[in-house]
Amino acid sequence: MINKVTTLTEAVKLVREGDTLALGGMTLYRRPVAFVRELIRQGTGDLTLLAFTASFASDLLVGAGLVSRVRSCYFGMEAFGLAPMFTKLATAGEVKVIEETEASIAFGLRATLAGVGFMPGQGWLETDLLKVRPDVRLVDDPYSDRRYVAFPAIKPDVAVIHARLADPYGNAVLGGNLAVDWELTMSSDRVIITAERVVDKLEERADIVGLRVTAVVEAPGGAKPTSCYPDYPLDSAEILRYVETCAGGGFAEYLTEFTNNSD
Amino acid sequence: MGIDYTVDELICVCISRQVEDGEALAQGLATPLVMAGYLLAKLTHAPNVVFGSAIGNTICADGAPLSISRIEDIWLGRAIALTSFPEAVCDVLFGLQPKEFFRPGQIDPYGNFNNIFMGGSYERPHLRLPGCGGIADVTTYHSRVYFYVPRHSRAVFVEKLDFLSGLGHGHRLPDYPGPRYLVSNLGQFDFKGEGGRMRLVSYHPGVPVEKIQKKTGFPLEIAPDLHETPPPTAEEVRLLREEIDPLGIRELETLSGARRRRKLREIIKKEQ
Repeated sequence: MINKVTTLTEAVKLVREGDTLALGGMTLYRRPVAFVRELIRQGTGDLTLLAFTASFASDLLVGAGLVSRVRSCYFGMEAFGLAPMFTKLATAGEVKVIEETEASIAFGLRATLAGVGFMPGQGWLETDLLKVRPDVRLVDDPYSDRRYVAFPAIKPDVAVIHARLADPYGNAVLGGNLAVDWELTMSSDRVIITAERVVDKLEERADIVGLRVTAVVEAPGGAKPTSCYPDYPLDSAEILRYVETCAGGGFAEYLTEFTNNSD
Repeated sequence: MGIDYTVDELICVCISRQVEDGEALAQGLATPLVMAGYLLAKLTHAPNVVFGSAIGNTICADGAPLSISRIEDIWLGRAIALTSFPEAVCDVLFGLQPKEFFRPGQIDPYGNFNNIFMGGSYERPHLRLPGCGGIADVTTYHSRVYFYVPRHSRAVFVEKLDFLSGLGHGHRLPDYPGPRYLVSNLGQFDFKGEGGRMRLVSYHPGVPVEKIQKKTGFPLEIAPDLHETPPPTAEEVRLLREEIDPLGIRELETLSGARRRRKLREIIKKEQ
């Protein structure tokens, strides 16, 4: 197996302008925040952001102007309300939303996993989603008279996943909240694992198999202020401070402080 | 002699009373009123329900008091089973069809609903909403779709939707029975009106029917057995305040803007 350990600075260079970038984790849980900080520092832009559910880390990327298109089924702050910068910029039409739902992302990733062009599902039938996603077509069931939605394959260029533990080859332990990370690892062209700790040998069974992992970075506290269960919980006070700062028009100052932070 | 309760507590109690013992219950993101209602059902008439949570995609038999910072402890710490999110979506939801209460951004007389944007056009909305999660997926087949609306207004109950991202009645899908029930801060409703139209079934104590009509953007049908919503019992209120949600997280759903942030600050301070 190949040792893939590198620095955050080098790992971020795996993201190129115009890429579809997928963030591992869920809403406010186990998000690759340290990676996002370095990405904002390097300023790689024109990204298509794929986040099954998007929140704090995605909102920073959108607010920093690095995201041209968003693919997500929920972009918000859960108990903390609307995601301030996404709401502002999507309302103003300054970031394009490619409408997704749980099924369109889940089936879309599974299509890539299976090496086929689509997966059929019942979702979206008779809704307006089909009107704003004309690229999504219907398919006849060859075994009955039913029609289904043919959710097109999704293939991210880069996926970034924060793990509790990883070994130098990219095998990684997630800690229970599995999110979409297996599917992202298996479907993305390049995969970056940031981990609380990189150890020579994992003592527990891995959730992510390193075969498709491109780079491994040790990033202690790398999900903060989102959680890394069970190592640390969500830092609610910090998420609230973000929401409050943005409500007062202070996103730019928050971003400066965030990118200057050495964590 | 009436007992003191708040409207968020009444909504929780109405949700609880819709729960049947032994069934599977799904909880979406940021829906503490629903979770408090489910837990109330578990502690009263429905001890055998199981919870499916979007946090960690877990199935749990036991609940715990509501939390913001430690919500993963509640679900991952008590999970009987867990899956990845795509597994939950593709492999679990259809088979279990857990009862779920959705919160519409807008809803029309037939229970069609919208969680994508409000006002203006799709390209230039007045307000972009977070998105519809998996609503457009499950409202094509799901047999147990329920609603809750913490702030009943003409902005929510509209004759015509700005966008349809959740199906109600009047569609052409043979396997989808449509939504069954809605509770708001003003009353309870079903969809047994003409062609699946929403009907007022009960008005909450002290709420005149005229007020409910006035705050609804389309003509309401009225059920023949219209009655007052039975108020919470003293024990239900005690369970909500002392056992289920001592921090008052459920109230967040009735607040917005600066008031919501103030309440959040109080909750987080108590949680630390």
